[in-house]
Amino acid sequence: MSEERGVRPYRRAIATEAARELASPSGLAVAGVFYLMVTAVLSGLWATAASANGGEIVGYSATALVWYIATAEAATVSLPLRLIEEVGDDIASGRVTSELLRPISVLPMRIAVRIGAFLPRLAVCVVGGVGFAWLIGGSPPDALALALAAPSLLLAVGISLVAQHAFAGMAFWIADAKGAWFLWSKLVFVLGGMLLPLEVLPDTMATVAKALPFMAMAYAPARLASGHVEPWLLLVQVFWLVVACWVSSSVFRAGERRLVQEGA
Amino acid sequence: MARHLALDVAGLARRFTTGRRRDRRTIDAVRGITFDVHAGERLAFIGPNGAGKSTSIKMLTGILQPSAGSATVLGLVPWEQRRALSRRIGTLFGQRSQLWTELTPRASYRMLGAVFGLDDALLDRRIGELGELFDAVELFEQPVRTQSLGQRMRCELAACMLHEPELLFLDEPTIGLDLLGKQRFRDLLVRLNTELGTTVFLTSHDVADIEHVAHRAIVVNHGAIISDASVASMRQTLFATKRVDVGLERAADPIAISAVLGDGVQVTAPSDSLLRLDVDTNVRPIREVLDLVLETLPVADLTVLDPPLEQVIGEIYERPA
Repeated sequence: MSEERGVRPYRRAIATEAARELASPSGLAVAGVFYLMVTAVLSGLWATAASANGGEIVGYSATALVWYIATAEAATVSLPLRLIEEVGDDIASGRVTSELLRPISVLPMRIAVRIGAFLPRLAVCVVGGVGFAWLIGGSPPDALALALAAPSLLLAVGISLVAQHAFAGMAFWIADAKGAWFLWSKLVFVLGGMLLPLEVLPDTMATVAKALPFMAMAYAPARLASGHVEPWLLLVQVFWLVVACWVSSSVFRAGERRLVQEGA
Repeated sequence: MARHLALDVAGLARRFTTGRRRDRRTIDAVRGITFDVHAGERLAFIGPNGAGKSTSIKMLTGILQPSAGSATVLGLVPWEQRRALSRRIGTLFGQRSQLWTELTPRASYRMLGAVFGLDDALLDRRIGELGELFDAVELFEQPVRTQSLGQRMRCELAACMLHEPELLFLDEPTIGLDLLGKQRFRDLLVRLNTELGTTVFLTSHDVADIEHVAHRAIVVNHGAIISDASVASMRQTLFATKRVDVGLERAADPIAISAVLGDGVQVTAPSDSLLRLDVDTNVRPIREVLDLVLETLPVADLTVLDPPLEQVIGEIYERPA
């Protein structure tokens, strides 16, 4: 038997989970329809508000706002809304304990499986979102900014995925953490810039929001896709990804140690 | 040459603390159990709910640290060398699935094989061998969600065997299976043991699992071992009683029937259309009693049952020390 070889198990996990996601196209279709509905409603609202405000809001034109909302929604809809609850349930039910019986770290494997699940969803959202934004809002405000938005979108979903695992890790210590996903989603909706560009918030709140990790999960790619050539946003995202990885691996290490020492 | 020990357990104990501050209390889930298991053995580790079976398995697989005592599994200390041990053992915990329901077992096996470091050629060969052994070549290509529970459990067992474990831990693996599914599963466990030499450590509530699979059974209750004996000897004593429920086409007098059936058969009548026979197979072979029942009674339906585990445990306590 050969030794485990680097990333092969994780690559295989991504491929297997992506195959599973593609094996149930109805789930993908529902996610796509939900995404288009939310994007249509929110971008319609913001485009109307921009028109009523002389054609733009805090520097965003109606077209830029459509591209902003389409991107911010893609970043959030690609992951399950209740991911934190699902991970928490897996910890509380002992599923994570049984994963300790494999010769591989629990958290990276869980992340790999989730990457496999979100990639097809993200692809559906990107195809649908680009089509929608082009049709409703017009051509993208800036081609270079849109090119930067592509890796930024991947980073945004990645940061959200890893950070939600860190947050869900509280289930190692708290028996009932079911409501945590609700708090998380509201933070991303407002402070992450999913519902609105952060510049719309009052100055102090906008400054605080831009210093928090939630901005890296929706605002950053949306800001780029809306025509702002600000490559430093990618660096900020890389920073938050590193922080999220460190925190989540620390939480899971401590949680696993607790499981083994004290039982589920 | 003496076979080496697969498990060597001495004084293993686990205490849990529950509640907060004033309500705090301790529970001794496992109270200093000592036993060993030789390589190639098929051991049943049985007891009622809350007896300490699952806690013991968790300690022996390394996912729970004991409060006291020691254990080596395949020469490794489980809670200190869990990852090394996981490459050498297989685990199947009840209904907890390792397979992706939307995919075929083969797709899941490719992922699990990568986790255990099997290269693709070796993995394909292994899947082929297990398909033959489990008579499941076609089953491995069928999405799991379309399979019956019995078929799925065969595929789950194959998943545990991909990396050729030397020792298999099974926690209530037949729970929920129908009679035929249980029998096929038991046969598979015996084949894995006889053909591949895999040591089997099985927990179950089902006395028939123990009778059909195990060489030896350890009975635990309240966290302690209350019996450690060969299944052959238990068959002579604890498993000797078989219950036969006879559905009748018309009412019959149990006293008269008791006289007809003779010694070793205790007859009760829970209802007019049901007779319950408790047969001591040390006195009367079960086949002889069944033949007599079919010849002399208006039988509409007939079921042979093993004694419930609780009854077996009750008898262990009643035996003189």
